[in-house]
Amino acid sequence: MTQILFKNIDMEGLNSIDVYESQGGYKSLEKAFAKKPDEIIEMVKASGLRGRGGAGFPAGLKWSFLAKDVFPRYLACNADESEPGTCKDRELLEKNPHLLIEGIIITCYACRIETGYIYLRGEFQHASDLMDRAIEEAYAKGYLGKNIMGSGSNLDLYTHLGAGAYICGEESALLNSLEGMRGEPRLKPPFPAVEGLYGKPTVINNVETLCVVPWIINEGPEKHAALGTEKSKGTKLVSVSGHVKKPGNYEVVMGTPIREIIYDMAGGIRNDNQLKAYIPGGSSTPMLPASKVDVLYDYESIQAAGSMLGSGALIVMDHTVNVVEATLRLTYFYMHESCGKCTPCREGTRWMWQLLNQLQNGTGTNEHVDKLLDISDNMSFKCFCPLGDAAVAPIVSGIQHFRSDYDELIKKLTTDTVAG
Amino acid sequence: MFIFTQEDEKKIDKIVKKYPFKQSALLPLLTLVQRRDGYVSPEAMRAIGGKLELSPGYVQSVMSFYTMYHSEPTGKYIILFCHNISCQLNGADDLFAHTGEKLGVKGGGTTEDKKFTLHKEECLAACCGAPMMRINDTFYENLTKEKIDKILDSLP
Amino acid sequence: MTDENKVTLTIDGKTITAPKGTMVVDAAKSVGIEIPVFCYHEKLGPFGCCRMCLVEVEKMPKLTTACTLQVAPDMVVKTDTPKVEKAQQGVLEFTLLNHPLDCPVCDKGGECPLQDNTFKFGPGDTRMDFKRANNDKATPLSPVITIDRERCIACQRCTRYSDIIEQESALVMLNRGFNNEVGTFNNEPYDTKYSGNVIDICPVGALTNTQFRFKARTWDLSNSETLCAHCGCNCNMTLGSRTNNLMRIEARPNDLVDDGWICDKARFGYGFIESDNRLIEATNLIGSEKKTVKTLDAAALAVESLKKIIDEHGPESVGFIGSAFGTNEELYLYHKLFRLKLGTNNLDHKTYLDTPGLPVDHYDFLNIETANLILLIGSDPAEELPILDLRIKKAVTRKGVKLAILNDQKTELDKFADLSLRYDVGADGTALAVLANGLAGELGISSIDDDAINPSATGINEEKMKSMVELVRSGMKICVVYNPAQLTGNAIYMLKHLLTVISNIPTIECGAIPAAPHTNAVGAMDMGILPNFYPGGIPVSDKEKIEQIWGEAALPKAKGLSAMEMIDKAESGELKAMVIYRNNPIIDFPDGKRVEAALKKLSLLVVHDMMETETSLLADITLPSNGPGYDEGTTTNIGGRVQYRRRGLNTKSPPDWKIISRMINSLSEEPIEYLSSFSVTEELSKIVPGYSEINKKSIKKEGKTRETIAAINGSVPPLEKVDFSRQGLRLRVTNQLFSKDKILDASSPLAHHFLPSIVYLNEIDASKLSLSGGDKVVLVANEAEVEAIVDISNRCNPGAVIVPKVSDEQGLLKLAQRESVSWVEVKKC
Repeated sequence: MTQILFKNIDMEGLNSIDVYESQGGYKSLEKAFAKKPDEIIEMVKASGLRGRGGAGFPAGLKWSFLAKDVFPRYLACNADESEPGTCKDRELLEKNPHLLIEGIIITCYACRIETGYIYLRGEFQHASDLMDRAIEEAYAKGYLGKNIMGSGSNLDLYTHLGAGAYICGEESALLNSLEGMRGEPRLKPPFPAVEGLYGKPTVINNVETLCVVPWIINEGPEKHAALGTEKSKGTKLVSVSGHVKKPGNYEVVMGTPIREIIYDMAGGIRNDNQLKAYIPGGSSTPMLPASKVDVLYDYESIQAAGSMLGSGALIVMDHTVNVVEATLRLTYFYMHESCGKCTPCREGTRWMWQLLNQLQNGTGTNEHVDKLLDISDNMSFKCFCPLGDAAVAPIVSGIQHFRSDYDELIKKLTTDTVAG
Repeated sequence: MFIFTQEDEKKIDKIVKKYPFKQSALLPLLTLVQRRDGYVSPEAMRAIGGKLELSPGYVQSVMSFYTMYHSEPTGKYIILFCHNISCQLNGADDLFAHTGEKLGVKGGGTTEDKKFTLHKEECLAACCGAPMMRINDTFYENLTKEKIDKILDSLP
Repeated sequence: MTDENKVTLTIDGKTITAPKGTMVVDAAKSVGIEIPVFCYHEKLGPFGCCRMCLVEVEKMPKLTTACTLQVAPDMVVKTDTPKVEKAQQGVLEFTLLNHPLDCPVCDKGGECPLQDNTFKFGPGDTRMDFKRANNDKATPLSPVITIDRERCIACQRCTRYSDIIEQESALVMLNRGFNNEVGTFNNEPYDTKYSGNVIDICPVGALTNTQFRFKARTWDLSNSETLCAHCGCNCNMTLGSRTNNLMRIEARPNDLVDDGWICDKARFGYGFIESDNRLIEATNLIGSEKKTVKTLDAAALAVESLKKIIDEHGPESVGFIGSAFGTNEELYLYHKLFRLKLGTNNLDHKTYLDTPGLPVDHYDFLNIETANLILLIGSDPAEELPILDLRIKKAVTRKGVKLAILNDQKTELDKFADLSLRYDVGADGTALAVLANGLAGELGISSIDDDAINPSATGINEEKMKSMVELVRSGMKICVVYNPAQLTGNAIYMLKHLLTVISNIPTIECGAIPAAPHTNAVGAMDMGILPNFYPGGIPVSDKEKIEQIWGEAALPKAKGLSAMEMIDKAESGELKAMVIYRNNPIIDFPDGKRVEAALKKLSLLVVHDMMETETSLLADITLPSNGPGYDEGTTTNIGGRVQYRRRGLNTKSPPDWKIISRMINSLSEEPIEYLSSFSVTEELSKIVPGYSEINKKSIKKEGKTRETIAAINGSVPPLEKVDFSRQGLRLRVTNQLFSKDKILDASSPLAHHFLPSIVYLNEIDASKLSLSGGDKVVLVANEAEVEAIVDISNRCNPGAVIVPKVSDEQGLLKLAQRESVSWVEVKKC
């Protein structure tokens, strides 16, 4: 199967430039510089590459939104990987930092950007150190700095660490954090492509997205577009975790059945238990029941099934799981990570957590469930940023598909009361 | 009295040069102090503010937003124990309780001898190695009770 | 209208045309459609965090916040659909979720947007069954602001105010998520000069006025739309009273003056109204006893006594020292009394040299924002004119205006300046001359040729001065803001010459704002309380014009005595009588000991003041002045804007205009009985040049600028020479906003701002004198001593010390000398 990102991923020493180059690393630069910047943007558009961070927005199209004739411009690489279930970017960062650098160089050339920042979450100190070393190596070889390979284009690339905030994975909050502020999201419009870092046009892309770019240049956009489905091209790194025998990051071609990912690649359910539920794209995507295990892993299929591909984190839950307990854990997460800027999210996540707590304790009622649904409705698409929507996803989908789990706990209350 | 050492000054110079606006150096400077002292004191905040021409209130506002900055001294080793979904599905709650008991800080906190600070933490992007914990800069994955004991006992 | 700048849209079926850039929430307001808000404030810009203003917009998939959405052509907005109503109820439910039910004990009740929005748009009930989250209640955020964190709805209005408007980031948001909390660095008090404005903008009872706490319900208050009387900004404010007791002060937005803000001195510095130190009754000194007399009788007696002295010694034997604290009406009447009735030119109100009129337009506050460059000379707005400080900060940070500073001391505004230069104390005239010559050179105009003008004697190196010249030359639209009270000697002529030079540069449009700190400094000059000028800047020597306006009555033509000259003549015995109005020369004039001795020599001293002062204690006759809060009249602010200061409280004591007109009437064959202060305004508007359009109607809403008084063209006199080689250090007295005096005394809630006596030394001088920070020293001059603590801060260039005037007790001006620059010796204790 075609491996774009994970080819040689486990090769020893891949994160040092000599080994990387021996595997064909940085070869795409020559090809890229032989083209005009706008041509590269067209190539990426034609490849059908969509943002791999969670939003799935077409990458080439996003680049073409950069405000014309406004300089300087910036690139921010989103390495803030914090979506529960997701661990794919860390593998790329630690094992193959040069692939990201190569992707960034091409992207910056295409978008006429001369300064790039890799924003890593604060806990990625080790990955950041490895990246710093790789960047130094790249400078030494002339792949970064002034007049790269005689192309006339310049690029300075830096790492920048966050300090523990999931919300900084949201692109505008990331920019605020990078500017030295609290990581609260910004008003949009204006969008980062027009007014981003320091008020200048900025490209923000996920690690995985940028890592695909060299392959597209080397192999050609048609080859990328030939992989996958109609609306989801190429491959996707899927972090499979939870109740599987072989958790790990797997590179799958878009359109692979989820059943295959769980049972073939990840070895099936632990202890050969029954699959009960799975979350297809990280905790912010609605959970789906086992009956939907034959959905194909691509943007449109998962959307049709009532969820989203998201960041590509497949969390598998077997029959021992109490969905209410899982939902409670995730709701706590969103409550903890809410930036607090907007009222519905700040108050709503906490209220929902309180209600779920009661349900989990066995002291909840049907009214609690009704309230949860109504609160979710009052939060959906009413918050300042998508974190509010993410917070309600496990709750709404959990109640929709696993009402019996809730009812069990409510029944407990009534029987206990009757008995007591 | 909080002071930046000569070493610190050198590092700070390098950091500030990375950005066109020095306010961007705020998180890096807070991180520098946090890693050096184990926490960020009000005097440190003032000093950082002075370096970057930011009011101390602003520095504190930013610092208090992020979970990796502590306003009170922490242990030599900060243990972040993931309790999010993938780890929880793989028994993290029991392992956390075990760790807490072993260290004598049930539910989290700093040990008497100031060697360890234990906290529950949100997803650390190591879900494929669940359950896991992060101690200072190192990730320890696929934990069991025995593994945890071994790791903690081995730390100097 | 097919104006390119207008946009037509529909809101709830109504068609509206609004200027481009208007937010939907404001467009709706303009046609009477209320979209509820919390975090939106027109001065702070859109934020979108409270989610209260969600509306439905056709073609948009989600509900959008109306406060962040700009109007667009053919936009269709709906604010009254079921979807919007559910969203509004949802948001209010969230907002009230952990909000304590404090209404019965909350000061905000009755003027609370949360209450109002809940009534109009909220759910009828709450579904919150859990115990509400607790937080700090009624905690002091500062001595004057109380914070109740339970009530806070995290709208971030106050933190954004501290960041955007104050440019301090002193009040900030701490923590994250539900733990979000408004606070300060290390729990220190929120103590900026304009902190009180957060009380006005907080949409709930989280930030409240500590002085007003539990005093009255807002709907019981009588509100008077009035002005602040502390400084030359004349900010608009509302005085709320109940049963004739002052309850609280609030800002009253006037975009042409204060832009919606007032400083803390305006808001909390009104304790003087109830001070025990007030002069309530008129007294007459008989023997050694001060006998109480009816006020109007005392006024008549004063004039009678003055007349007697004039009959015996001539009109040159009496003098009037007025004040920039008087209203236009009061000063106009005193002018009438002394010049027209008593026939003397001995009128003055200040001790620094200044001349009326400008060779350029008299700019107003808005010009600060529309200029390209502000040239700030000798002024420290933060301590002298706080709202001017905020407006300059706004211009620089949000309107792209450049700031250039020329001063002899460092100020807070330096960090906002493109170029800030420090001239030596005493070298202000020379610095201005060098700048003027630099600009003139480029124009080919002849420079001022004077030995005193030595470019290397300003304290500013020539390269830097060249940069200043260049910056000014490329200015395009320049607003010069200068403090005439801080210019030494006769440097004011050089400043006006500089203005002339700038305005002659063909590419430049230039105007000026004379930023003297006192309330009605501009008005005092306009009303002619000057020895050598009639009202409207007409020199006493201009016989023709004077007769044209004032008539053929025998009017004194020779220049009168200035304030300090009156003191000289009192000392020599040539001046026999003085009326001193709202002024305290013993404390506020240089060489106070000498002033006191001189005043004691007078045969008659009449003091007309609001408070008992060192000067009033010496008076033969005292007349009580009602003062701000009780008085009525107009004042003219630094922008030349005339506004009406309405009284907020009632008193039986006669207003000053009545007292003074009584004095005039005693000498008139046809006495005039004014019915109100406006009657006086009407009279003065007919005769004072520049005030012809000023009347009750024209100044009603936002005031009205009087016409620019043109300066008389003349040659620039040579600069007074300063002997920089003299022994000792030059003394620069600076203003402190919160100084402990008759207005803010020890009982003031602002007392925590009072500073001890400090002398700021340059490190070079400190080392010469072997002084270190914290040392106690004594400053000596004029056989007087002032104690101070040393602070080494390079606030000024070497050769001088900076000493802020921190209190009346400090007696700082005792050290000041009559010459243009004062010298002191610094001795270790």
